[in-house]
Amino acid sequence: MSRTSIVALVVFIAALGYLLSLGAGGTRKLQANVYQFLAPFLSSGSGIQKQITSVRSNLKSLDNLQAENNSLRVENRSLKATNQALRDVEHEVNRLRHALNYRERAVFKLVPAEVVARDSSTWWRTLTINRGKQDGIESDMPVVTDEGLVGKTTTVSANITVVLLVADESCRVAANVEGTREQGIVTGERVAGQSPLLNLNFLSKQANLQPGQKAYTSGVGGVFPPGLLIGNVKDFRARELDGQAQLVPAVDLTKLEDVFVVVGRK
Amino acid sequence: MIFFLFLMVLVFVAQIAEFFIPPLDWMSNAHVYITPVLVFYGAMALPLPLLLVLVFWAGFLLDAVTAQIIGSHVEISFGSSILLYAVLAGIMHGLRPLFARGRWEVHCIMTGICTSALLLGQYLMLSFRRGSIFFSREVWWQIGGPGLLAMIMAPLVFWALHWLARATAYPYLPRRGLV
Repeated sequence: MSRTSIVALVVFIAALGYLLSLGAGGTRKLQANVYQFLAPFLSSGSGIQKQITSVRSNLKSLDNLQAENNSLRVENRSLKATNQALRDVEHEVNRLRHALNYRERAVFKLVPAEVVARDSSTWWRTLTINRGKQDGIESDMPVVTDEGLVGKTTTVSANITVVLLVADESCRVAANVEGTREQGIVTGERVAGQSPLLNLNFLSKQANLQPGQKAYTSGVGGVFPPGLLIGNVKDFRARELDGQAQLVPAVDLTKLEDVFVVVGRK
Repeated sequence: MIFFLFLMVLVFVAQIAEFFIPPLDWMSNAHVYITPVLVFYGAMALPLPLLLVLVFWAGFLLDAVTAQIIGSHVEISFGSSILLYAVLAGIMHGLRPLFARGRWEVHCIMTGICTSALLLGQYLMLSFRRGSIFFSREVWWQIGGPGLLAMIMAPLVFWALHWLARATAYPYLPRRGLV
């Protein structure tokens, strides 16, 4: 072995040893810096990918477009009429709320974000979004859509954030089931197919949950606020010591385009 | 040296591209990995010092974009992919004399095997960390699928890199051509 090779090997081992000895804090910081460096490439890549997808989806025949246009015109007229009726109802509701001194329910402060990449690795189910520290996002913040819970933030750089999906085995969410006193922990599966399911563990053996029942975050643990829809029960089985339910996620995690990060309460 | 720099840039581009290549649902959601094919070509074409730099770069990028920090612990230590790449590229580097004689079929097969071995290594580390291990059909596809794809891609990628090496007058080439 040449002298250069030996020197290179020693430097390599030293650098590797340094990286392997990094703790969670150091790794998080290093990853955030790398993501910051990658941000323009990821944003550009996402833009190109969207353009390609939109070109593909827009390649429809003129006949189809004409038919779609006609149907949309009809739908538009119908919606205008409905909208007018709803305006009247809204006005009345507002007047009554005011009259009853209705206190607005505390709502979450949300930061909208666009998904720039998804499932970048084999063993973790993640998303990358185009918002970061500059928008007030920090690690371990819940990520939602209007349909329910998506996951939580992990690595956060200035304007890129990695979101660990609720379908990942290492994302654990305390949950309760509607209409029951059952509480459990929701986790994903280590390796799942195209449509991942969630496991709701540590239920009582007698829970006997029925398909379609909804599971919500219970707020235990501090990361996820209570009341966020996680999914619907698919089936339930009593095990030797406890019960386990399988949930269909409320959000289609494979087709996410836009999400909201819960950065606090209003 | 120019060829080496090209390889470094290509590894970076491939790592970014992997972000946007969706998993293959007909292969139990197996991912497409291009970077290992480039690294394992580098293992055959580069001298040891440059190979170590390439391995470090590729492993660093892989860990930076994939390793997850859950709560207060790192699931797979940052640097573990560098270690895995180094071991596997070291094996490929040992096959360099065969490559220099113009035999590249073994290397294409080995590229697939090493890509799968990289994923297997990650899976074993992850399983050790999470305290349970199982090998379902999906797990085997997640490990074997990218290897198969890498094996299929390898001849084309090797040919393209060989062409690039010739274009940049890179001296560490097989005596006879790849094709």
